[in-house]
Amino acid sequence: MAEIQFIHVSKVYGGDTPAVRDLNLEVNEGEFVVLVGPSGCGKTTALRMVAGLEEITEGEIRIGDRVINDLPPRERDIAMVFQNYALYPHKSVYENLAFGLRMRKVPKAEQKRRVEEIARVLGLGEMLNRRPAQLSGGQRQRVAMGRAIVREPKAFLMDEPLSNLDAKLRVQMRAEIARIQQALKVTTVYVTHDQVEAMTMGDRVAVMRDGKLQQVDTPQRLYDAPANLFVASFVGSPPMNLFEAGVRRDNGRLLCRVGDSQFELPADLAAARPALGEYAGRRIAVGIRPEDVREASGWDGARLRGRILLVESLGSEQLVHIEVAAAPLERSDLVDIAAQPPGPSLGVGELEQAVTLLGRFDRHLLLSLGEAVEVAIDPRLLHFFDLETGVAVPSAVDAPVAAGVAG
Amino acid sequence: MSAVTQIAPTPVAPVVTRPTRRRRVRKAAWNLLGVIVFLVMVFPVYWMIATAFKPGHDILSYTPQWIPTHPTLSNFHDATHMPFFWDAAKNSLIVVSIVVALSLVLAFLAALALAKFRFYGRRPFIVLILGVQMVPLAALIIPLYIMMSRLNDVKGVNHVLGVDKLGGVIAMYLTFVLPFAVWTLRGFLLGVPKELEESAMVDGTTRFGAFVRILLPLVGPGLVATSIFAFIQAWNEFIIAYVFLHTPQKQTLMVWLASFTTLRGTDWGPLMAGATLCSLPVIVFFLLVQRRIAFGLTAGAVKG
Repeated sequence: MAEIQFIHVSKVYGGDTPAVRDLNLEVNEGEFVVLVGPSGCGKTTALRMVAGLEEITEGEIRIGDRVINDLPPRERDIAMVFQNYALYPHKSVYENLAFGLRMRKVPKAEQKRRVEEIARVLGLGEMLNRRPAQLSGGQRQRVAMGRAIVREPKAFLMDEPLSNLDAKLRVQMRAEIARIQQALKVTTVYVTHDQVEAMTMGDRVAVMRDGKLQQVDTPQRLYDAPANLFVASFVGSPPMNLFEAGVRRDNGRLLCRVGDSQFELPADLAAARPALGEYAGRRIAVGIRPEDVREASGWDGARLRGRILLVESLGSEQLVHIEVAAAPLERSDLVDIAAQPPGPSLGVGELEQAVTLLGRFDRHLLLSLGEAVEVAIDPRLLHFFDLETGVAVPSAVDAPVAAGVAG
Repeated sequence: MSAVTQIAPTPVAPVVTRPTRRRRVRKAAWNLLGVIVFLVMVFPVYWMIATAFKPGHDILSYTPQWIPTHPTLSNFHDATHMPFFWDAAKNSLIVVSIVVALSLVLAFLAALALAKFRFYGRRPFIVLILGVQMVPLAALIIPLYIMMSRLNDVKGVNHVLGVDKLGGVIAMYLTFVLPFAVWTLRGFLLGVPKELEESAMVDGTTRFGAFVRILLPLVGPGLVATSIFAFIQAWNEFIIAYVFLHTPQKQTLMVWLASFTTLRGTDWGPLMAGATLCSLPVIVFFLLVQRRIAFGLTAGAVKG
């Protein structure tokens, strides 16, 4: 077991666009760190550089206290689980599991003991003589995991190991992998594009975009205090609602204007985020999580008026699309585009500038299409971001590690 | 004596769900065509074997003898006691085994380079390999002969390569076998996902170790197909051997077979017996290795 350190690591393919840019990241001993981001963000490249399957253009990677830049993969003492499992098709399950041990000249008796132990733990005991072709997807996944575990390496590297499984099995294996990792306490770097997987599995989650690290933090802090617009829009499902608002100062009070409604930002909020005052007279990006969008009955604070476009019932709750008057974000390059809800549907949007707010509402609330509703907005639950750089307006208590999305 | 290697799968009649009269007729017509093609292909082989067992007067009779009624082994006796038969057999075996072995090793390494590495000039090289196969053999014989005959004067090389040297013929065969072999093996290697090698390398092998332990077993079918091709090419080749090998002791079996046709006519019985004998090794080799052509060996490696 050892920690893994990325120190100013960059990777450039064929001289042009960098795949990974100046990555600095420390994975502590026994920690489970998830690299997450949309496809092409450099997360897999970063992982493959640790494995030794990709050369490091700049910077250095350390495992333990060794710089491993120039070591061949076999000398790095790491184990990797591939997206497509990469089981050796001409070898039996037993031989697949024992292959790494055999290459490391572990005595035969010891090999047998360890392989059988792992097979028992993973429920593969009956299948040791089968070929990979005779296994189901879940079983193949287990063999791939077993092949990594049995080696007792310094670190596990996992490249989207669950993406080939069907949804049910994925949830089950997700928990299983997390449990195994907790039991073994092996340093693990896990790559995925699925933010739910990242949030549920990781001790810490590193969000990447265009080769740049956006934010590293615990899942909860990532959710509560996203460092920039991209992280805010990427983390969370359904994603955070984002729109533009105007800020102005009036008699020492900070007022926020969304569409045609206006509300005050309370003094404690302004105190907690002193930088907010600098936005007086300017536009700002405002975000609110769907669960913080509430129905306004009984709320005496700020309200936004809107109209219900769509109600999606999830059983335990309902997901409501509400059209409100507000300016949508113009800089779509700052956010995770895939996570953005569609704009106002054709023919419905009679408002000049409208944004679809997603809200998670209680399932007992009776809502119907086209109905006018009022949405309660608690200013304390809002997230504020700079419109130009996408960086979150820092809070005075603990400024999050911020990184601009652009550039 | 051409061994027919089936490359395309046998056409399978579509699954009949509700056999109508028209479908049945059509199916019967296809079957009939198949039988006719089969007979046309098989007849020369049958005639060769049948003639080999016929006594001389049966062979040359004006009413064809479809079945040898008085089978005899004397033709085989005559053929094997012809001068230089054993020399020719030995030469053929030497040529074939060296061509098969060398072409497998060279083609595997070349295909590996083409399939797994990116290097400057890779694409032109691939095009070259394809292009070389388009040049007709007849157009090459004279330039190659001139080149080879010059090699006879080069010290150090001239006891292996040159005109009237087995080494010369082997080199010629390799030039024809290698492009096809490299091309075929490249296809097989491309079919093996790169994660398998990477996984092996992470598991503790060297790059070369991953090739030998993971890739080599997986391209087994490709190696078998290639070796069959090389074997048949080298064993059956006539023109190059005929042009390049002059001394009777150095000739291969195919050239030796031609010696049955003399100015005084053709000695059909022993010729057919010799031809039958010459076909045997190809058939035996094919039967030995064909079991190993198992496609779909990579199934289960990755999510399928």
